[in-house]
Amino acid sequence: MTEEINRALAREYEAGFVSDIESETFAPGLNEDVIRRISAMKKEPEWMLEWRLKAYASWLEMEEPDWAHVQYPKIDFQAISYYSAPKSLADRPKSLDDVDPELLATYEKLGIPLLEQQMLAGVAVDVVYDSVSVITTFREKLAESGVIFCPISEAIQEYPELVKKYLGSVVPQKDNYFAALNCAVFTDGSFVYIPKGTRCPMELSTYFRINEMNTGQFERTLIIADEGSHVSYLEGCTAPQRDENQLHAAVVELVCLDDAEIKYSTVQNWYPGDEEGKGGIYNFVTKRGVCHKNAKISWTQVETGSAVTWKYPSCILRGDNSVGEFYSVALTRGMQQADTGTKMIHLGKNTKSTIISKGISAGRSNNSYRGLVRMNPGAEGARNFTQCDSLLIGDKCGAHTFPYVESRNPTAIVEHEATTSKVSDDQMFLCQQRGLDAEKAVSMIVNGFCKEVFKELPMEFAVEAGKLLEISLEGSVG
Amino acid sequence: MSEWLNTVLSRAQSVDDWLSPKREQSLALLRDAKWPNRKTEAWKYTPLRAVENAQFAAPADVEAAVTAIAGLESIDLVFINGRFAAEQSTANLPQGLHITQLADVSEADKTWALQAFAAIKPSRHLFGLVNDALATEGVIIDVAASAKITAPVRIVNQLSENAEAHNRVLVRVAQQASLTVVEQTIGDAYSFNTAFAEYDIADDASLEHYRFALQTDKAMSVGGSHFQLANRSQLNSTLVGFGSSLSRLDVDVTHGGEHAFAKLNAIYLLDGEELFDLHSTIEHAQPHGTTEENVRGIVGDSATAVFNGRIHIHRDAQKTLAELNNRNLLMSNKAVINTKPELEIYADDVRCAHGATIAEIDKKALYYMQSRGVDRAQAQVMLNFGFINELVDQMPNAALAEWLRPQLRQRFAKMEVN
Repeated sequence: MTEEINRALAREYEAGFVSDIESETFAPGLNEDVIRRISAMKKEPEWMLEWRLKAYASWLEMEEPDWAHVQYPKIDFQAISYYSAPKSLADRPKSLDDVDPELLATYEKLGIPLLEQQMLAGVAVDVVYDSVSVITTFREKLAESGVIFCPISEAIQEYPELVKKYLGSVVPQKDNYFAALNCAVFTDGSFVYIPKGTRCPMELSTYFRINEMNTGQFERTLIIADEGSHVSYLEGCTAPQRDENQLHAAVVELVCLDDAEIKYSTVQNWYPGDEEGKGGIYNFVTKRGVCHKNAKISWTQVETGSAVTWKYPSCILRGDNSVGEFYSVALTRGMQQADTGTKMIHLGKNTKSTIISKGISAGRSNNSYRGLVRMNPGAEGARNFTQCDSLLIGDKCGAHTFPYVESRNPTAIVEHEATTSKVSDDQMFLCQQRGLDAEKAVSMIVNGFCKEVFKELPMEFAVEAGKLLEISLEGSVG
Repeated sequence: MSEWLNTVLSRAQSVDDWLSPKREQSLALLRDAKWPNRKTEAWKYTPLRAVENAQFAAPADVEAAVTAIAGLESIDLVFINGRFAAEQSTANLPQGLHITQLADVSEADKTWALQAFAAIKPSRHLFGLVNDALATEGVIIDVAASAKITAPVRIVNQLSENAEAHNRVLVRVAQQASLTVVEQTIGDAYSFNTAFAEYDIADDASLEHYRFALQTDKAMSVGGSHFQLANRSQLNSTLVGFGSSLSRLDVDVTHGGEHAFAKLNAIYLLDGEELFDLHSTIEHAQPHGTTEENVRGIVGDSATAVFNGRIHIHRDAQKTLAELNNRNLLMSNKAVINTKPELEIYADDVRCAHGATIAEIDKKALYYMQSRGVDRAQAQVMLNFGFINELVDQMPNAALAEWLRPQLRQRFAKMEVN
């Protein structure tokens, strides 16, 4: 059995190939000039540059946070290149036919259904490759219903009013160390605007990949759901296998106006580093949404990658009757470390939030849930339910729970519960006695453990997530 | 830097006794320590402004009579403003129980006492370090192997206006012995005390423990009870806190042996502008340990309750069972509850769970009782009392429970439902 475990745990990262695409990359280093150059490359208006420089100035005065339950060597921010663009994109492709075949082959290798399958599935995709947005499919079709779905660099030029109004309104420049860095150097990302009363006709999707060596990826996503609108957004990530650590510091802002709904799903599979913890992505991400009256934001995430994860998708429930949801599966193995969770800030009356978090630890990894539920004095009749379950596979890993609960309103009800257990011998015995081998049994039990979260994912992602988990877990039975 | 802490450092320099080796270590840590602020995790919700630059009078000799607990035939150890009051304390001790003042400890006992002082209380407690530096008074309680001491040992700290006092207690319960200890702090006047008790519970020994932090109003108190459990030892502890302008209690339980059992019940009832902060840390360092922790609180008016309950399961602590439950009732829209149950787990074959709830008193239950002719205020007292009484009923010592109940009732009567 031990051999089987070792073999499975030593499984290679399947998305760990490097694509040989010519690219244009800045020399490593960070200073005002680099920010000016990024801004100039993107042909940004003056206000945007000033916004970036302001963020940079505050970043310089901030200290790297150390409260998370993760350990990693100090990051040398001067050793990172802050811009890398596939060269052949100098003149942007108009259709899929114009895309570098190498790039398309990459996607195929990743199993991304960008082409026919994708069209059949009716998913519009924005692909961010290293630092720039490569292609956005289905733009015209979306435009018919008034939906804007484009790279954020384009939105800054074409829809400056919307960007000016909402960029930084949920995650301000000084929010935290990595968010401030992102504000200063972000190179691209997705921008979505759903007009009033519109139900987005298809699921929107972004796919991120860090390809170049020594580059960091700092993408920025801004989604605005205007009154009464609805959108479902999917995000996927991978990176090639490299010996050194790479930084990914993204910011996602969701603005959910009255009666609107945003469903944001992530399958994160950045390169986790090798067995000894060498290499891998540092995933330091700030995701937050604000809900106005009767609005609803639902975060669903499946986290299986990254060497170090530091990520807390949050909801500010500002409007009365607004709803926040957080469904998460985080799986760590090898030497991975994840510190992830959510914040639910209840400001409005009758606001509701649900947190379901499932952590699975294997190998020598550490998996922490860190969350905050705050009931402000105005949160009359608010309600929260939190459930955090951890599953340990093997005796060298760790599972931790750090929930903060703060209540200032007597009519608000907060419930938190957490459990930790292992795959029980009884469950295993039952499955094996029915003819399943140990591997299948574990996979089945873990899938059952995560079911509550998987059922929240859109169809295609649920399948992908289930498969990802199965791959990561194969044979890790003790 | 806190002016008060500066005086602590300078005052500690002039003390020289057999505890000095430990004092020096703690002073070294204190010199590097930062005065806690909102960003210090352990003090995130508990401001220390009232102590930061405070000046207290030197403890004077005060005449104060300490009342006995009715129905409790206890062995009393009374400290008034930090000084041992022999005339109010019990002189005759049952066989197997030895109590020694810190100043009178024999050479033979100094060795183990110093070891215990170094091992039991974690050095992360800032005020624990202060206590190391300044506490010259206190007692060592030693229970001989297999001795069953039935009479509870009651340690009373009485504080008067403007006093500052630092006491420490070290308790050793040898193999197969058993003991009951009651820690009690009295005095609502403006004062500050740090009272730390450290318990070394040997193989197969058992300890019944109570700590009543019932000071209210202007009294400020920061203290702790720290337990080291050896193989098959048992701890049953009940804490009751009323909250004052500053009331902070740290409880640490270390399962240093296998098959140890710890039961921890805590109650806090806060009113006015009081603050009560309870931090509990359970370290499961060895296999087959069991911890049951139940914490219940009622917070009214503009009071603030802080609870941080940490359970840490070490790599070797397989087959651990640990449960923590924190339930709170919030009585007013100016009251605040901050709770954080934490789990940190490094062993896979364990069963751990924690839960926390915050809500108001059940409106339906209140309505039901009113419909039966019970007036609102009384119904509320009954419901609150029922919520807390479940834990009071679990106190093994009936006399203490009887003594406590009317005090709780009195508190409930003052609180009002919105």
